[in-house]
Amino acid sequence: MTRDRTAFPTPPSRPTRRRALKLMAGGTAMALAAPYCIRPAEAQENTLRALMWEGYALPEVIAAFEEAHGVRFTPTFFDGNSEAYNKLRVGGSKDFDLVQADGFWPGLYYREGLIRSFDFAALSSSGGYFPTFKPETFELLMDAESGDVFGAPFCWGSYGITYNADAVPAEKAGSLELMFDPDFAGRLSTSARFEENIAMAGILVAERMGTKDAPRPDGKSFNPYVLTDEELAGVEALLIEQKRLLLTRYQDNNTLRQLLAGQAVVAAPEFAQVYRLLRAEHDAGNLPTEFDHQLVPKEGGLGWVDTWLVTSGVEDGGRLELATAWIDMITSPEVMKKISLASGCSTTVDIRSLSTPEEQALFLMDRTAELEDMYMFDQPSSTEKWERVWSNMQAA
Amino acid sequence: MTRKRLAGLAFLGIPTVYLLAFFVLPLLSMAVLSLWRTENYHIIREASLGNFATLLTEPAYRTFLMRSVVMALSVSALCIAISWPVAYAIMLYGGRYKLMFSLALAVPFLTGEVLRVIALQGLLGPMGIINATLIRMGAAPLRFLMYSNVASAVGLVYLYLPISITVIYLSLSNSDARLVDAAKIFGASPVQAFFQVTWPLNLFGTMIAAVLCFIPCLSTTLVPRFLGGPDGTLYGMALSQQFGESGTWALGAAMGVVLFAVSIAATALAFRLDLRRTGYSGLGRS
Repeated sequence: MTRDRTAFPTPPSRPTRRRALKLMAGGTAMALAAPYCIRPAEAQENTLRALMWEGYALPEVIAAFEEAHGVRFTPTFFDGNSEAYNKLRVGGSKDFDLVQADGFWPGLYYREGLIRSFDFAALSSSGGYFPTFKPETFELLMDAESGDVFGAPFCWGSYGITYNADAVPAEKAGSLELMFDPDFAGRLSTSARFEENIAMAGILVAERMGTKDAPRPDGKSFNPYVLTDEELAGVEALLIEQKRLLLTRYQDNNTLRQLLAGQAVVAAPEFAQVYRLLRAEHDAGNLPTEFDHQLVPKEGGLGWVDTWLVTSGVEDGGRLELATAWIDMITSPEVMKKISLASGCSTTVDIRSLSTPEEQALFLMDRTAELEDMYMFDQPSSTEKWERVWSNMQAA
Repeated sequence: MTRKRLAGLAFLGIPTVYLLAFFVLPLLSMAVLSLWRTENYHIIREASLGNFATLLTEPAYRTFLMRSVVMALSVSALCIAISWPVAYAIMLYGGRYKLMFSLALAVPFLTGEVLRVIALQGLLGPMGIINATLIRMGAAPLRFLMYSNVASAVGLVYLYLPISITVIYLSLSNSDARLVDAAKIFGASPVQAFFQVTWPLNLFGTMIAAVLCFIPCLSTTLVPRFLGGPDGTLYGMALSQQFGESGTWALGAAMGVVLFAVSIAATALAFRLDLRRTGYSGLGRS
């Protein structure tokens, strides 16, 4: 006797181990295949993609460029050179057309094939640079072998010390020792950037150890980003000592501005942007405290030149023209003036004819030559060793 | 393939794929990365347990982890201690506004976490309302509130309190209030009724609330960064540093694996209590 299957309703299929395994296998296969099936959005002809510092993204400037060229400008922001480098290394040269970097980083990008050269001389703004930043003088953006230029200088500055001139004697302000002075315990602040904290302490440690002007193991002149193990040990000890003196490590310029203006902090190393804001407030009569900025401490200081670079993912033709058109526009004197006022940075393009004498003094327009005495921002000689120094300090 | 079978596949397959793609695969890739190492932003694909050895032997990383565990335990305990009376008060006295009160707990989530933390920085910092008022009154500022672990704890309680109140409130609203009445009828005082009926019946909800505070606190990055000060580096902040400027991704991945293991262990430990004794009925009949 055969059972009539139609006489009974079909039982609902129950979950079994085999079905579960099938589902998981199917799911795994689909998940593994997904990266090959779902391709990242290819560069759109009507989009220009930039990996840049947030402070330079002025909406009005972007809007004017978009209107003039009929494209969309899509910026992505980063917080430090190493972060941008990480992004470029994991495929970012295909995801971005333009990238910003400072110090020795553009050279590193070029050597690793992350950026490409372009016809700098063809930029209409190329003739307007201060002599310090022209390609023949500013060699950091030129390939020594081929003579090709792979970047356009943009803004510059130091990592000098902004201090409350009413609270800090001028003789103390001229030295890096100020940032490690117990007399100002609880009233000092530094940025949260580990590279510059270690490099700045490295200058002081090398000065104290007498190794700064002595022959270096690599046969080159002293570079605070290439420290010996002994110097790094000294830096760790010095940073641990400094930690007790700090109120906080500021995360952003606005926090530092509030701390300095409120006199909770009397000295902090920064890019002079906060100093300019405080000076403007003081000059307007809104802030009684007087602030000053030590551009290069007597032991030496850190300097940087922000640049615009074209990634290696940009091929000759329309896309390269679009990328260089952006660089040409953003380094034009009128736009540089706007960016300078908005972000508080000094410009590499000579905008003295557009500036008042006060602005020329405040934005160090006659002091560009001092940059040659500074140590440029660089890649740490060993990020692993530097990370350990920073972690040990944080945990101490 | 029948329609029912297709529906079943879609119903189970899509979440399976989603979880595999966005949860299991990243975890696996993190585990693999943790076995490699980095050298100046370059990944060296040589498998070893070197990163885990570093985490075990270097005191700094153990300090970060211990700080985070202590912080997460303290914040969870504080959240539970504050949440119970608030949730209980809404239950007892909320009347027809109970729903409104419980929805009001979601209001802080209408703004981003960064904004809320920065607002707290403005409140607790040296120029914030509290210390600025004290200084104007001629009193000394409260230094323990300025860029300290206490400030981080305040920030974390502020962030996770709405979650713990909501969970405990939902637990209370789903427990049978008649059991409390019965206990009182049989002579229990209100305090006895609370500790012998209400508390055990809602212990499971309380555990969930505690775990939902503990786990995110363990990996928190933003709060110690903005409020913690020079001595406030927690494990999550140190971990994010590895993936940020220092570019020591392999060590960061190993830290992530350790964090995952600690979170799982803490959760397993929390749920070792006998759920049936707490009145939890989700396990079916024994």
